[in-house]
Amino acid sequence: MTAGEHIPQEDLALYAMHSLSADESAAIRAHLETCAECRAAVAEYSGDIALVALSVDQHTPPDGARERLMNRIAADAANPESNVVAIDAKPVNKVYASIQWSLVAAMIVLSFALLLKIGSLRIEMRQQAALIQQQSAQTARAQQILDLLTSKSAQHVALTAAQAHPQPTGRAVYLASSGSLYFQANNLAALPAGKTYELWVIPASGAAPVPAGLFQPDATGNASVILPPLPTGVPAKAFGVTMEQAQGSATPTAPILLVGAAAGE
Amino acid sequence: MSENLPNPQQAPERTDNSASGRAREAGSERVKDEALLERVAANDQSAMAEFFDRYGGLVYSIALRVLKDSGHAEDLMQEIFFQVWKKPESFVPGRGSLGAWLAVVTRNRAVDVLRRRKPDDPVDDVVLVSKTNLASEVERSSMMEKVRQVLDSLPVEQQKSVELAFFEGLTHAEIAAKTGDPLGTVKTRIRTALISVRKAIQA
Repeated sequence: MTAGEHIPQEDLALYAMHSLSADESAAIRAHLETCAECRAAVAEYSGDIALVALSVDQHTPPDGARERLMNRIAADAANPESNVVAIDAKPVNKVYASIQWSLVAAMIVLSFALLLKIGSLRIEMRQQAALIQQQSAQTARAQQILDLLTSKSAQHVALTAAQAHPQPTGRAVYLASSGSLYFQANNLAALPAGKTYELWVIPASGAAPVPAGLFQPDATGNASVILPPLPTGVPAKAFGVTMEQAQGSATPTAPILLVGAAAGE
Repeated sequence: MSENLPNPQQAPERTDNSASGRAREAGSERVKDEALLERVAANDQSAMAEFFDRYGGLVYSIALRVLKDSGHAEDLMQEIFFQVWKKPESFVPGRGSLGAWLAVVTRNRAVDVLRRRKPDDPVDDVVLVSKTNLASEVERSSMMEKVRQVLDSLPVEQQKSVELAFFEGLTHAEIAAKTGDPLGTVKTRIRTALISVRKAIQA
């Protein structure tokens, strides 16, 4: 582009959309400072952008968002030092005033940049916090599995098929105090369509069996249930496996395919 | 303070949907917008609460569409409203509607966040030509339907280019690399889509 030429309309549209590289945008920005015609075109495209933005599905802001904004504004209003522009009422000469206004303008731009930078940093902090939380949860889960497998108090139970030919086997490790359970099964028969295996904890108290997870064997007949959600403090006298409908069942359906009594019960 | 303010979303529904009714309503809302900003400029906190009630959903929805995360969308929404509080003169009445201005600033800021671009681009100098007034829920809803119809009627390639540029925040060069289309083609598709929307709304 040479002096006197206008920016192609396609580039002005992309400029308005922030779809150009930084270098391309800077070149157009410089041109716009002296070209009212191109500025008008960018304004038209910005109007179009507003319309396209309108096409999004409408959502209500999260609960508390309004209150958080108002609290921030109240805090800002209570602290006049944070105001962006300070007005100096003293008379100044023309050159000095020009310099002052330039400084004020620069400060406004700087303040905006800082405000937006703070916003970006807050978003990055939120992402980092989410990552740390996820990693902490994974570490806690691994530690819980380790505690379960190494605990001397854990009940180790071997489950065998209740049928005459007990090829399928299962092994459960259970810590009643924390409700932790690790279960591994082998040589399971493939499931019919719409069916699932379900593991049960049979309480020592004689209460109803507690569902301890649905599972399906892989191609070699192996399956596992690791740390299913269970109540704590429920000593077990046995564990069982039944075949249920795919969505699982609240009570076991006969026959019990695998069963194992807990040692010491 | 803010708890006692009326929530416009709970206001009785307007029933005058005629063209003249909408025009009267738009004019009225525009005056309210300007009056609201004058109160904000005078550090009236209750005016900011009204301002949020009127445009919070619009700003949050656009931010959410681009950022795809409710937390990030709220952060951006909070920043934009706080900037309005700090510098209400950023919007110059008469250049366009306040709702349209907020829509553009929100979309552009969201794209900046997506790209982790330095936030010192002068997008707060956004000046736009807009004959639409988005302060009214009725007007906003009507306009939304029109724009959606236009976008849905665009050729698939144009729709894809607009989606990638507008909501995914890709540059035209990134879109060309992603789709394998020539740069010039991508540019033309995006501009043509914008012009199509403009003409359809003006028709």
